[in-house]
Amino acid sequence: MSRLTKIVLIGLILFPFAFLLMLSLGRQWPYPVLLPEQWSLSNWQVVLGGSEGLGNSVLLSVLLSLSVATLSTGLSFWVSRHIAYHPKREAWLSLAYFPYVFAPVILAACLQFFFIVGGLYGTFGGVLLAQLFITFPYGVIFFSSFWNERLRSMEELVKTLGGSTRQAYAKVLVPVAKGALMTCFFQLFLISWFEYGLTNLIGVGKVPTLTLRVFQYVNEANVFLAALASCLLIMPPVILLWLNRQVVFQERNI
Amino acid sequence: MQERWAAYSSRSLFVWLAAVPIVAGVSYALLYSLGLIGIMAEGLTLVHWQEVLTDTAFWRTLGFSLFVAAVSILLSLLLALALVLRAPQAFTRGTLSFFIYLPLSIPAIVMAFFIFQLLGKGGWLSRLSYQLGLISALEQFPDWVNDNYGIGIIVAHVIMATPFFTIFFANLYQNERLGEYLQLAATLGAKKRQRIFRVAVPVLLRRGLATVFLYFMFVMGSYEIPLLVGSQSVQMVSVRTIQRLQRYNLGDIPEAYAISVAYTVMVVILLGGLLWYNRKQMGRA
Amino acid sequence: MLEIKQISKQFRGEAVLRDLSFTLQQHEMLSILGRSGSGKTTLLKVLAGLEAADSGTVLLEGKDLSQKPANQRGIVYLYQEALLFPHLNVFENIAFGLRLRKVPEMEVRRKVGHLLERLQLPEQSTKMPEQLSGGQRQRVAFGRALVIEPQVLLLDEPFGALDTETRRSMQQLLKRVAKDLGLTAIFVTHDLKEAMLMGDRLGMMDGGQLKIYGNRAEFIADEQTGALEEARFWTDLQSIKLTK
Repeated sequence: MSRLTKIVLIGLILFPFAFLLMLSLGRQWPYPVLLPEQWSLSNWQVVLGGSEGLGNSVLLSVLLSLSVATLSTGLSFWVSRHIAYHPKREAWLSLAYFPYVFAPVILAACLQFFFIVGGLYGTFGGVLLAQLFITFPYGVIFFSSFWNERLRSMEELVKTLGGSTRQAYAKVLVPVAKGALMTCFFQLFLISWFEYGLTNLIGVGKVPTLTLRVFQYVNEANVFLAALASCLLIMPPVILLWLNRQVVFQERNI
Repeated sequence: MQERWAAYSSRSLFVWLAAVPIVAGVSYALLYSLGLIGIMAEGLTLVHWQEVLTDTAFWRTLGFSLFVAAVSILLSLLLALALVLRAPQAFTRGTLSFFIYLPLSIPAIVMAFFIFQLLGKGGWLSRLSYQLGLISALEQFPDWVNDNYGIGIIVAHVIMATPFFTIFFANLYQNERLGEYLQLAATLGAKKRQRIFRVAVPVLLRRGLATVFLYFMFVMGSYEIPLLVGSQSVQMVSVRTIQRLQRYNLGDIPEAYAISVAYTVMVVILLGGLLWYNRKQMGRA
Repeated sequence: MLEIKQISKQFRGEAVLRDLSFTLQQHEMLSILGRSGSGKTTLLKVLAGLEAADSGTVLLEGKDLSQKPANQRGIVYLYQEALLFPHLNVFENIAFGLRLRKVPEMEVRRKVGHLLERLQLPEQSTKMPEQLSGGQRQRVAFGRALVIEPQVLLLDEPFGALDTETRRSMQQLLKRVAKDLGLTAIFVTHDLKEAMLMGDRLGMMDGGQLKIYGNRAEFIADEQTGALEEARFWTDLQSIKLTK
């Protein structure tokens, strides 16, 4: 591939990022001016200064996604081990594909009633639970290729050396799984971080995550703040990508 | 024994978190659509199903969703395969191998917003056209968003799917050692075009079929992008369903649930088809 | 020391262990010759508590082990593959069992150091498993088992994956260590020579049943073991050589 083609491709890839950043810095953009006018950092200053409540949304999104990722990763790691060693492993695994039959937002719509009755409608806990429904099965599928004969033998080895199940997990299984646990954690974090439809439906707007704010600004036709919120949304994944590409994409055998 | 308790409770948790919500959701939607539960429920009735299945708008929605998904996937596959086959190493090593991941950090809602600002009548391309003298007024710019062909939706999905498939096929190329097969084909006398269409494409598509299919399902059921960038007259499934659920007309709700169930049935049939095809492949292999 | 009484086990309708009974004396190494599929791994796993028998009892020094879980039996089962913990170095791999029991640091260092000497590994103590050769890995696996001073050691074809040279030196090393430490062990292998070399007493496993021989001569005399056949092969070869 020629140097020129590479540069063109990279340029194309960077264009959306540059575009959004540029919009976030503007205050006026009358037609048919190509670039926004009145460039300044005032939008960012306002946001970082605390008004607009975007800071709260960032914190909320971070808290929500961290909780979802931690819970899902831990639970699916534990559950996938018991499923992987079951004689009818394939049948059990196919259950994990169920939630993907639904689009998340439609699943949320069908479950609204149950959330209302359970008093979880419009609450942080409700949104967390709903997101668990889509992240947990993903985690189980993710870890299903991790458990194998070798690991099972290692677990038995710990037992034969006198260790309990807890010690087997703590001293061998979790350390050996560290890489996979991290990757799964970040992938589930991103799924939660990007989520809109389900969060909006179950949270009824009372759980204003960053994605909801983007949509809110779009509805208000406030292009500049929408772009700003978008920039905030994109930043963590880009940073994670910088640290480890595998976090955002990993080949899975389906 | 402790081990047995752990095994049992972990599998129960699995059933509760993975299967129960789906079963509960489908059951609720089905019962509601049959008039057995709900605010305006009057007992078992097929009237809502009749209305949905005879409504041309419903079939147009399904057809439109399939159309958008098919076109998006096709275009992205073409682009991704072209990129990978032209320069297989470029996406697994070097600068490009980092940059190709960047678009994956953009969520659907941001992509929708971006496409709107790019392709809309008041958007960047429109302004560029004005500056270049291609148009003399905003209204002259073509309808590329909120249009009846789903152009904006397709473009958005293509931008999201192409990097994904590129990375996927680049990895697959490496793992399947396609390069060696192509060299082998060359020594057997195959010309470039033959090598691409008789060796590379079949191998990549065959192994990648499940992933492509799942992505297809994902596009069909997408919500955020058609929500911001789609039109009111022809909608995609998720948007239509949610919209009907949230309208003031309570009579629309059972129909919305009927649509949900119908869509789910369609997905299950398609998934079943994929599994059957997969099993046949394994049997042959 | 270890009494096995009428152990039976079925797997998917097939009998893997049939009414097996034998005794293992203290400080003795029992060598069991068995082809793959003879049930030898299952027998060892049942003794270690990693699998449960359908019927029969296992008594260690007169006490019934059937209720005791694998981690409380004092019997260590060693896999064919060394299975070293990839995230720990040689020292920590050997020390693993001691760390489980929260043994104080000074004693850990003393015991592990002792074993490193005995197994000729003192230079390797900080290396990671991937940096070791096959023979070195097996020695670390031994060290890991021996450091906790198990009552019985079960060895499941421990040298199967090694090349002939390494295999020979490992056999000699194990025999020496076993004698020095007074180990009570069962050594299972499909290799005839290895079985005869390693064991104080010999046994043969076939179709889920175990036959223990009174002495070496008895073992050789039994056609089933294949010892006679092997001997004939070499003598025939010798006579051909002489006549040529």
